[in-house]
Amino acid sequence: MKRKIFLLSLFICLCFSCRNSSKKSSGFVFPEADAVPISEAEKLSPEAIADISKNISSPVEIANLLQTLEIPFSQSYLASSIDANKQNTNVDKALKLGILGADLGYLNMYERTGSSLDVLSSIRKLSEDLKVDQFFDFESIKRLSKNKSNLDSLLFISIDSYSQIDNYLRTNDRGHLSALMIIGVWLEGQYLATQVASQFPDKSLCDRIGEQKIILNDLLLLVSPYCNRDSEFTVLCKDLQEFKEKYRDVKITYTQGDPVSVEKNGGLVITQTETSVVEMSKEQLTDIIEITKSIRNSLIIK
Amino acid sequence: MKIYFISIFILMSGILSYGQAVDQLVNNCVMNAGTDAKYLKDFRIELGKASGKNELRYKANMSLWKNTKYRFSMCNSSDSKGELILNIKDNTNKVVLSSFNQKTGKIYPFIDFICNKSGIYQLNFDFTDGQQGSGVGIVSMIR
Repeated sequence: MKRKIFLLSLFICLCFSCRNSSKKSSGFVFPEADAVPISEAEKLSPEAIADISKNISSPVEIANLLQTLEIPFSQSYLASSIDANKQNTNVDKALKLGILGADLGYLNMYERTGSSLDVLSSIRKLSEDLKVDQFFDFESIKRLSKNKSNLDSLLFISIDSYSQIDNYLRTNDRGHLSALMIIGVWLEGQYLATQVASQFPDKSLCDRIGEQKIILNDLLLLVSPYCNRDSEFTVLCKDLQEFKEKYRDVKITYTQGDPVSVEKNGGLVITQTETSVVEMSKEQLTDIIEITKSIRNSLIIK
Repeated sequence: MKIYFISIFILMSGILSYGQAVDQLVNNCVMNAGTDAKYLKDFRIELGKASGKNELRYKANMSLWKNTKYRFSMCNSSDSKGELILNIKDNTNKVVLSSFNQKTGKIYPFIDFICNKSGIYQLNFDFTDGQQGSGVGIVSMIR
């Protein structure tokens, strides 16, 4: 009898321990505090800040996703109303430089060379005003824009120019302008994705929008040291906090698995079997689309 | 005074030619990533000889997104003693890919990674056996 009770207990224990090792791992949550304390952000090392700036997803990736989904190009998504000659402060100029950088990526991916030359001239003006034009090889970008066969060179030279500006600003005590440029790039990529999702609510696109929760905290970390710098930064920080609020209840969970690899053409192809799963209601998505549109439009009409 | 200027000139020439060599290496690596690859980022790595065999020394973070196929291409400069290798860890510190097979010693010049879990990943680069070297890692998207 004792033996039977022992075996029964063992069986129950095993059952529960199996349930605990569920394949679903814990999801992504924002850190406990609602806002990142400024003192914490100030402690970030230059390497950590450089890492954050590299984390932000490229608008080229968003444009690539749109092309994969066969979403047609639309001029209406672009920040055409930005007049580079009417930007008064460096804050405005750096934000717009980022926004136009994202538009340039979108145009390049869709090979809209005529429009990209217009955007390029605005980028040139803003970068001259911010004294970072030395990192743009405008003539090469123009030449490559006209030659559609060199898309990869065009992407490389455009993205590399922005990376160099970012690095230069951070290492020359103008980190606040680098942060603004990065936020501008992200915001415009987010605008592009949300505008398309409002017309073509494809699951993978909506997931990508939900997944931006992962890097939103990094954006806040990046801008936090400057929130009290002036009124423009204070407004921007408030806007990003509003974004965070809209994302608070978006859930990202993960399932586990081991990668599968095969050799192919001298390289290795690895398929990840772990997955991330986004749980976002229609209302949450609508809120995110609305807040993105509102914040982005308030910035470009300045 | 002359020697001073000559020294500065030689030093500056050296820096400029090194910069040009790195740029050339990056350009070549981007161009050789494949016709189906679209450039996203590059990581320029220059390391001396390691004092011990520890973890891969050059670390950088990057966000990778679900339903995207990435290509990681590694290129070495001709004067490198070791070959550039890469491993990538996820946010739980689990290795999701490595360009170096420790069992066979095989080094892969590129890895295609079909990402199904969005997140911030840690890219770790080094040269084989902790050797001195310079190289570049290119991240591209594949259609």
